[in-house]
Amino acid sequence: MPSTLIQEESMYRFRALCVLCALAACALPADDAQTQTSVNPDISVIPRFLISTNDGEKLSEGTRVFSRPDLQFEELEIAFQSYLNPFSKADVVLTLPGPDLEAGKLGIEEAYATVFRGLPLDLNVRFGKYRVEFGKLNIVHPHAWPFVTAPLLQARFLGEAINDLGISASVLLPTGDIYTKLTVDLLRGTSIAGVTGIADTTGASPYYANAARLMSFFPLGEMSDCEAGLSGYTGIHDPYWRDRFWYGNLDFKYKYRPDFYTSLVVQGEYLYNTRTAHQDGSLVPFLGADGKPEARKITTSGFYLYADCQFFKIYSIGARYDWTESPYHADERAHGIAVFVGYYPVEETLGLRLQYANTTTETPAAQPAAVSSAGLTQSVNSIALQVLFSLGPHKAHPF
Amino acid sequence: MKRILLLILLAWSPAAFGVVRVVTTLPDLADFTRQVGGEKVSVDFIVRGDQNPHFVEVKPSYMMRLKSADLFLTIGMELEMWAPQIVDGSRNASLEVVDLSKTITKLEIPSRVDASQGDVHRFGNPHYWLDPRNVRPMIAEIVDALAKVSPADEPEFRANADAYLKKLDAKIAVWERTMTPYAGAKIVTFHKSWSYFAAWLGLDVAGEVEPKPGIVPSPSHSAEIIQLVRSAGIKAIIVEPFYDIAAPDQIARSTGAKVLRLATSTGGVDQATDYIALMDYNIATLAGALK
Repeated sequence: MPSTLIQEESMYRFRALCVLCALAACALPADDAQTQTSVNPDISVIPRFLISTNDGEKLSEGTRVFSRPDLQFEELEIAFQSYLNPFSKADVVLTLPGPDLEAGKLGIEEAYATVFRGLPLDLNVRFGKYRVEFGKLNIVHPHAWPFVTAPLLQARFLGEAINDLGISASVLLPTGDIYTKLTVDLLRGTSIAGVTGIADTTGASPYYANAARLMSFFPLGEMSDCEAGLSGYTGIHDPYWRDRFWYGNLDFKYKYRPDFYTSLVVQGEYLYNTRTAHQDGSLVPFLGADGKPEARKITTSGFYLYADCQFFKIYSIGARYDWTESPYHADERAHGIAVFVGYYPVEETLGLRLQYANTTTETPAAQPAAVSSAGLTQSVNSIALQVLFSLGPHKAHPF
Repeated sequence: MKRILLLILLAWSPAAFGVVRVVTTLPDLADFTRQVGGEKVSVDFIVRGDQNPHFVEVKPSYMMRLKSADLFLTIGMELEMWAPQIVDGSRNASLEVVDLSKTITKLEIPSRVDASQGDVHRFGNPHYWLDPRNVRPMIAEIVDALAKVSPADEPEFRANADAYLKKLDAKIAVWERTMTPYAGAKIVTFHKSWSYFAAWLGLDVAGEVEPKPGIVPSPSHSAEIIQLVRSAGIKAIIVEPFYDIAAPDQIARSTGAKVLRLATSTGGVDQATDYIALMDYNIATLAGALK
């Protein structure tokens, strides 16, 4: 790396470190500790580490051998939360992604303010950069998942997550005692390139995107509840041809919690994708019979379904099934199963998750010859052990 | 025009309908509110008596309960860490949140607050409602809160409160007489919920089944408790209905002490139909074990 870049990196890290030290100094105990802590934000730090292995690396050589287990730094998350005033609060989440500790850059995962009181129609308005309320899983940070790896449909259709600059407004609909909320977002569209779209290298401003979610919460009895949601997301996935995509998503979550030590969660989502496209995500044009570029109407989908059972308060065991196509090719499919166990000896302050997954990917034969897996169906087994710990206050869990 | 608008606003106030809508965290607070408010209040609560009040999931259905409420009564002292999220989610700009701990003499205020101490409450032990002498200041706060919403009914609220406190004082005298022979007796509790109860009755909480608040009992700590129970001749191990009975049962089998399922809230056991019945049950059960 050139010395000037090294110096810039060093200055960036130094500035970030100074900010963190200043914030930490504000949080140091004072004589009047209760008054001091009441004006400081809640600060939490959650690092995740991963030891993983899989048997897919030498499949092209016809060999199935588990790789040497790799100990990796997965991610560090630093979160600040506080009320700004009686009417609004703010959340800032910084993340340092892995696996390279030295090269990783502290980035803004989320930074938003929410006005939750004092607006007409009891509106909640959020502005900033945030994980969009699309489906049930998109707003959940990975450290709070019961499994180690994201569902296949999330990886293929949403990238890491729909996380964008924008403004969101939500309102509770008049459905009697049933909690029904409608959320609508106007987004800058910068996350679409990461959401299996095509990156615009012209430097032009991205096209706006929109998202919405309608959800309802149904208490089913003293010990069980259910939530169902319907989401939509649309934007321009190809800035060169100005081609639009539409996502529709159905989600549900059921939870049975008979006592303090036991619970069962069943959750699933189905995503429907439709888009007009002149080229796929790798910029390979769709050609008509005459060999000229043509627009195609593509319709694909995916879903996941998982169940997770907590018992004796500190253990959990679960399983997940995934099936998905890809945003541009209906014949590019993947499906898999994952089985996972969790151990949380002291709530979320310390957690271990062990996951076995088998993932099968089908790559159509019509792929360019450069793609070595063209025409192949490959099945890969993976085992991962995730370790995480959490510093800071533990908020009550939302449903 | 202004006068007409004022009349319309007054017509839509809770006082105009004669009912103050109250939601409480614990069912005991709901009981107190009904005693004070009578037919002038409609009351709901969030935590069932057989649920651990420390850990409540933030459900949208709880937000709906608060959405149309006038008052939200809480124990405070960060017992209900989940409450602010439910309040914020209710989108009820006119909701008054009342902390009933304001004038309580607090026990066990920690000098050090960090995670090494377990789930320690930084403002002190919040389980103060288990000393029935603390119900008087709680009732006073409830009367004030109700009167603020419905000033016209204040005389009725005060009269109801006086009547209830008179009844409660008579019961306190009975409970104290029942437990006088056992003053100084040592007990073991699962969690630090019984400090106010023990201080009131002169009992000595010699140890807890939890090694630290909120920490699952460990074999080594259970062995220490077994040793303590044997050496001190402890007869009673108090466990709330929502805690796992395995470790207390093991201690009881090894020592001959009795595991007592005592409730910390109305509805925690079938017999605890209201606060007085709750204390009747707890006192009778404990006295029976300490004989």
